[in-house]
Amino acid sequence: MSRLFDFAGSAGMGYSQPQPLLPKTSIALPPSLSRQKLPRWPRLSEPEMVRHYTWLSRRNFGIDTGFYPLGSCTMKHNPRVNEVIAQLPGIADIHPHQPEHHLQGLLSIFHEMQHMLAICSGMDAVTLQPVAGAQGEFTAVRCVQEYFRNRGETQRTKVIVPDSAHGTNPASAAMAGYDIVEIPSLANGRIDLDALRAVVDETVALMMITNPNTLGLFETDVPEAAEIVHAAGGQMYYDGANFNAILGRTSPGMMGFDAVHFNLHKTFSQPHGGGGPGSGPIGVKSHLAEFLPSPIVKKRPVLSGEEQFAVDDMWYSWYEPKHTIGKVQQWHGNAGAVIRCWAYYRRYGFGLKDMSEHAVLNANYLRHALHREAAAAGVSHMFVDGADAEVAKHEFTISLQPAKEAVGISAMDVAKGLLDQGYMAPTVYFPLVVPECMMFEPTETESRDTLDQFAKDFVKVLQIDADTLHEAPVTTPVRRVDEVYAARNLCLKHPFDDEQ
Amino acid sequence: MVDQLPNRGLELEMLEEMGFTSIDDLFSDLPEHVRMQEPLPLPPPQSEEEIIADARRLLGANRAMGDVVSFLGAGIYRNYVPASVFQLVTRGEFLTSYTPYQPEVSQGMLQAMWEFQTLISELVGLPIANLSLYDGSTAAAEALTCVVRVHNRKATQKDTVYVSELVPPDRMSVMQNYCQGAGISIKYLKHNLDGTLDLTSVRDAAGSCGVYVEQPNPLGILDGGLTQIKEIIGEHTALIVGVQPVSLGLVEAPGNYGADIVVGEGQPFGSPPTGGGPIYGIFACSKPYLRLMPGRIVGRSIDVDEKEAYCLTLSTREQHIRRHRATSNICTNETLIALMGAMHMSLLGPEGLEHLATRNMSACILAKQKLAEIEGITLPHFTGSHFNEFVVELPKSAANCLNYLDSVGIIGGFDLSRWYPTQGNWLLVSVTDQTKAEEIELLAAHLAVWSAIKEVIA
Repeated sequence: MSRLFDFAGSAGMGYSQPQPLLPKTSIALPPSLSRQKLPRWPRLSEPEMVRHYTWLSRRNFGIDTGFYPLGSCTMKHNPRVNEVIAQLPGIADIHPHQPEHHLQGLLSIFHEMQHMLAICSGMDAVTLQPVAGAQGEFTAVRCVQEYFRNRGETQRTKVIVPDSAHGTNPASAAMAGYDIVEIPSLANGRIDLDALRAVVDETVALMMITNPNTLGLFETDVPEAAEIVHAAGGQMYYDGANFNAILGRTSPGMMGFDAVHFNLHKTFSQPHGGGGPGSGPIGVKSHLAEFLPSPIVKKRPVLSGEEQFAVDDMWYSWYEPKHTIGKVQQWHGNAGAVIRCWAYYRRYGFGLKDMSEHAVLNANYLRHALHREAAAAGVSHMFVDGADAEVAKHEFTISLQPAKEAVGISAMDVAKGLLDQGYMAPTVYFPLVVPECMMFEPTETESRDTLDQFAKDFVKVLQIDADTLHEAPVTTPVRRVDEVYAARNLCLKHPFDDEQ
Repeated sequence: MVDQLPNRGLELEMLEEMGFTSIDDLFSDLPEHVRMQEPLPLPPPQSEEEIIADARRLLGANRAMGDVVSFLGAGIYRNYVPASVFQLVTRGEFLTSYTPYQPEVSQGMLQAMWEFQTLISELVGLPIANLSLYDGSTAAAEALTCVVRVHNRKATQKDTVYVSELVPPDRMSVMQNYCQGAGISIKYLKHNLDGTLDLTSVRDAAGSCGVYVEQPNPLGILDGGLTQIKEIIGEHTALIVGVQPVSLGLVEAPGNYGADIVVGEGQPFGSPPTGGGPIYGIFACSKPYLRLMPGRIVGRSIDVDEKEAYCLTLSTREQHIRRHRATSNICTNETLIALMGAMHMSLLGPEGLEHLATRNMSACILAKQKLAEIEGITLPHFTGSHFNEFVVELPKSAANCLNYLDSVGIIGGFDLSRWYPTQGNWLLVSVTDQTKAEEIELLAAHLAVWSAIKEVIA
């Protein structure tokens, strides 16, 4: 065990710094503001610090460690050149308040990303301001809210979400002040148009939905849902969490959506970093464009005198929409993430269609391989498809309810068993409409061999007897962690001696 | 050709095994009228070599601050991040992991974030910290909605918070976006001519849900008066203090003068300016706010063998469980940048922090002295203590001054008329630990020249 707060070396041993420009005695603080006691931070040298964090890293699992089929998170390979690019001084060492002529390269990349996202989504305008998917949702909801206020339609106080929606959808709409109307999904997880019709009226501002849905199925009724909502004057919002399935094949614009967010960290491979950073741009149809937050970049041909700063003979500038909702993050969004995702996009260009096709190919192949291996091993009775569909999109679900009933192993047991096989577990217990749910999303960057091997190992786990599997995992740095204990005995920071 | 697809060339074999004949079969569920018929009108795929060449060309067109002399701050600061931080944070086990839903294989990040919580808690003097919000502005905005959730029942000024009138418009805009949905009204606290908070206006805030002020304030002033706020507003009104975290190497931790919540831009610890993102927001609070605070929290626990282990805790506040009743919609946050912060703070240690703060503050003192000597230029808040930045009042517009300085390779600071439209001649000059004495001399020399140019009309 390496514990950070056990390191108690000498003062200032971590890294030496230059001397201050004036001696410390020159500093005068208001007496009430003079710090009485320095924080009890550890003292460690660089060798110790490097070893501590290396030790920690070895107790963590990433895509680089092994297959990471975490459904709805799109854990695809993160090309390393993107990290090299993000550390170039032209992005790492720039300040958001620098004048436009200092930032023409950044602005041109922003413009290119806006353009690409608009094309792929069938939207008219894009802002790169939101820094995460949930913030993109909130931003779009705010734009719709101001749009209706601008039109005097203040009676629209409701947002409709299917019960299978990601939790962020209702949370984001509620943050903007909307009442949430949850509509039940059909037994097969699909949208229930009758349930939708029953709640749609002139008090509805927005419907939020993802397509493919959270079961990985393409919702063929979404265009009709859009007609129903639009007929009552409402707007349609596309949760882009599952965008990886459809690039170049269809678009939210074609399906009738008015606004969409993109999870650049999913579709365009910003590394997920243990929980962030992400980037959550949104795209909207033209009637919502003037409500977007900046930064939005516009371009025009370069004028004389500007050439020395310009790239590609164009001049890029920030544009503030006429009715902008203002800011949702103080700066220009997660510019560093946008740059990485730009590098990822450049790798594909029009081949983004191939990316989505391979994501869908791999998901369907893995689904097939699980059934194939289960049949070969005689355990095909242990699980069923989470939804009855001939084809899945980029992800799919299974239900382990039969295994639970037959031998008493749960989806969580199987998940922990997979950890022992050297895999990250798929998403479990989401969406709730599938009992003992397990959701797999292999992404396009996994090889067939990996998928085949995983299917074999998955079936191997199903064959472990229940008592043994309840004990899993046994090969991981720690075994099953007691989350109830953590909540009942809150220990949210290092207990220093005088606090114990 | 795209080079990231390992199953390129195996498509047909895989399809045939599944009983399909073409990729189109996998999209047969798309209704005809929503199918894209034409290829995406985008350029062809590029090789890694071409991408990096283009990146160098385009990003090379930006003026990196290291290539000029910069006095631009105003919320994002030039800093030095030790090399080991970048080397460690790009280890794939950290970089390519996601939210630690499976704690058994995520102990590294969980423990690192628990340690981060401890580092922040110690820094700001409060017992609880989450593992980051998006940035300082969203942390401040979430703090406002949090204090209303906690205090509204007993508040005599319901759904009301008070915010320093100096808070920059971009930050205020974030607060307004977050507050309007909860029906929270934001009122403003006044400032004195010397830039300090008008404590008489703070009396009006008693009985509201909370007060938000900054230390140092947006003009760089360290305001001793803030230590009296809690006494004025009482226990049922929260004191939220926004900080520049490096300053806390010299300045008292707000938790020790009554702050209930401390927020701030974590960027100076661990993250280069990066155009303003990704950075990370600090959020720390005292116990009464724990169950209604936003963001993820790591707790120390045990595993089935009673071995020390870490996991996410208090998740019932969060959107994936509580849905529309969650304390915040935040899911993806800034964990990796917070990890960089933790690494940087670990290397600094307490005395390194104090030294770093001293470097920042002494550079500020030197700059104030040098600029105050220039004829025609005044420092309206000269007598105050400053951290990182201070106001310079110019004889002509700040915009004109910045244009002149730009022509000689200096980013002279921030034009404060962008925040306060009536202050057309106010320039916010920022210095950090990265500022050199020669750079201050250079700025002073050019300011003197510019100031003396009488005929130029802005």
